[in-house]
Amino acid sequence: MDSLILFLIGILSIGAIYTILCLALNLEAGVDGLWDLGIVSFFGIGAYTYVLLTAAPAEHHQSYVLGLELPIWIGVLGAAVMGGLAALLIGAPSLRLKREYFLITTLAFAEVIRQIYSNELWLTNGVAGIYGLAPPFSEALSPDARHVTIFALLILAVAIVYWLVRACTASPFGRSLKALRENEPLAMTAGINPFALHIRVFVLAGAFAGVAGAFYVWYNTLIVPGQFVADVTFFVWTALIIGGIGNNVGALLGGFLFIILHDALRFLPLSNDMAEVISSVRTALIGVILILVLRWRPEGIVRERPVTIPVRR
Amino acid sequence: MEIIVFGMISGCIILFGALGFSMTLKAEGFINVAHGQMLLLGAYLALAFSSFGLGMVFSTLLVMVCCGFIGVLIYRFLYSPVKNRGILVLLFTSVGVAYAINGIVGALAGKRVMAYDLPPVRALRIDDVPIMTIYELMIVGFALVAAIAVHLFLTATWVGKSIRAVADNFDLARVRGFDPRRTSDYVWFIASALAGVAGVFSGIIGSLHLGMGWQQIIIILAATVLGGLGSIYGVMLASVLLGIGMEIGITILPSNYRTGVAFLIIIAILFLRPEGLQSLWAPRGGARI
Repeated sequence: MDSLILFLIGILSIGAIYTILCLALNLEAGVDGLWDLGIVSFFGIGAYTYVLLTAAPAEHHQSYVLGLELPIWIGVLGAAVMGGLAALLIGAPSLRLKREYFLITTLAFAEVIRQIYSNELWLTNGVAGIYGLAPPFSEALSPDARHVTIFALLILAVAIVYWLVRACTASPFGRSLKALRENEPLAMTAGINPFALHIRVFVLAGAFAGVAGAFYVWYNTLIVPGQFVADVTFFVWTALIIGGIGNNVGALLGGFLFIILHDALRFLPLSNDMAEVISSVRTALIGVILILVLRWRPEGIVRERPVTIPVRR
Repeated sequence: MEIIVFGMISGCIILFGALGFSMTLKAEGFINVAHGQMLLLGAYLALAFSSFGLGMVFSTLLVMVCCGFIGVLIYRFLYSPVKNRGILVLLFTSVGVAYAINGIVGALAGKRVMAYDLPPVRALRIDDVPIMTIYELMIVGFALVAAIAVHLFLTATWVGKSIRAVADNFDLARVRGFDPRRTSDYVWFIASALAGVAGVFSGIIGSLHLGMGWQQIIIILAATVLGGLGSIYGVMLASVLLGIGMEIGITILPSNYRTGVAFLIIIAILFLRPEGLQSLWAPRGGARI
């Protein structure tokens, strides 16, 4: 197959994964007002859960637990469940506190979790990571056909997550979240229990991020702790802010757009020194774009539309 | 003993970073993620200065001035215009600033781990027990001087009082004739200068690498929560306790968990006493620094 098409499919696949993260973040941070700086922890937990459930048992030169060789759909389900459970664990104590504390706790949790992946050899094989994870359909299909199939599945997954998040946003649940975001004391007088709703939306977002983690393993066919640094969290936030925070179409656009901007240069043939400089320049550029968007268009490309409720007469 | 001494030294470095961070948090009310990158900038600037043949002490002083002015410029041109758009916009503007600084330093300096070219010294001894090197002694001494200077500055000078006034009640301070703009300039200059020094010191103790800013901001956040958000005295005590706590922590856990220990402390504090150490002496909701 044409290498350009494969390159595009690669970029759009990773874009789809980021878009799922953006949609999850939009649900908790855009629709509700939770400033989660640790979404990467649920992404990572999902990815590791998927690997431990679906990979072959550890060989003699590696060490990790489980390796149950379960079917992929159980792996994806497990990723969702563990992502949600982790969110419950971290949300239950921190969501009762002020927003600043929630922000710091989530960031802290992500860092602790990453150090666990790196240091607990028995659990995850440590910084060496786990390589050669067979992507789905690797026996049934040729590599090219497999890339296309995975890409199609990812797009389908984005569509499903988008539909779910949109349904959530439009439901009474989503409108209660927006009410809490805008004015928590007022929402409470309308009978909305802030903690109960915050924790539900946080767990939901954690589960979506966990699923995205499982897909990330399909794409990479390997897993190392370095994939789950705080950069991921900030990149997802940047993507969401560019697209338009609070708007699901914005999250959809932002995820793909960010990855296209970020990865377009990656496959250029460059010398090592040059590649190093380019990657630093790219980091600086992301920062500058974020500053500019917040300065001149803080609502993003697609601004959030006010909720309108048809009144029956 | 060794643990406590080394913990105190790293605590002093945290103090420089956390002090400035708390000042901006108190004065502007947002979490300035770019503060960690100010440390990175300071460390690499000192490397550049010393490669031009300047002495380490003079380089450090020059770093303070440069970082201070860069901090004021960043505040004036980047934070100040978006100040009335809310904390979220400010927070993510600072994330943008952090990436911009990190990327620029990375493009100029490369990704290799570097170190200052300092003459090696033997540790000073008391009763034949090695305690600390002369560099480390200077860091601890400078930290004590800085802590006292910041205290005197905030309580005894006009500018210091105006900083506290503006942070406590912006409108009242303006009515009473304080100029919030000038006050902010001082806050950002001091905070950034302290961050630059913290960067140089952590470069002296350890090494220089591109990730150091991110690492430090996480430890600074831990110290800030431990001290109580925005409390200057709380954070001074918290930094030293955190430094010692991390050293004790890694005698139990593997040493790779250094920042992990800092975070476990955060989470424990949030369970026990979310107001932080300052709640030990400050009345709830009362005036505090």
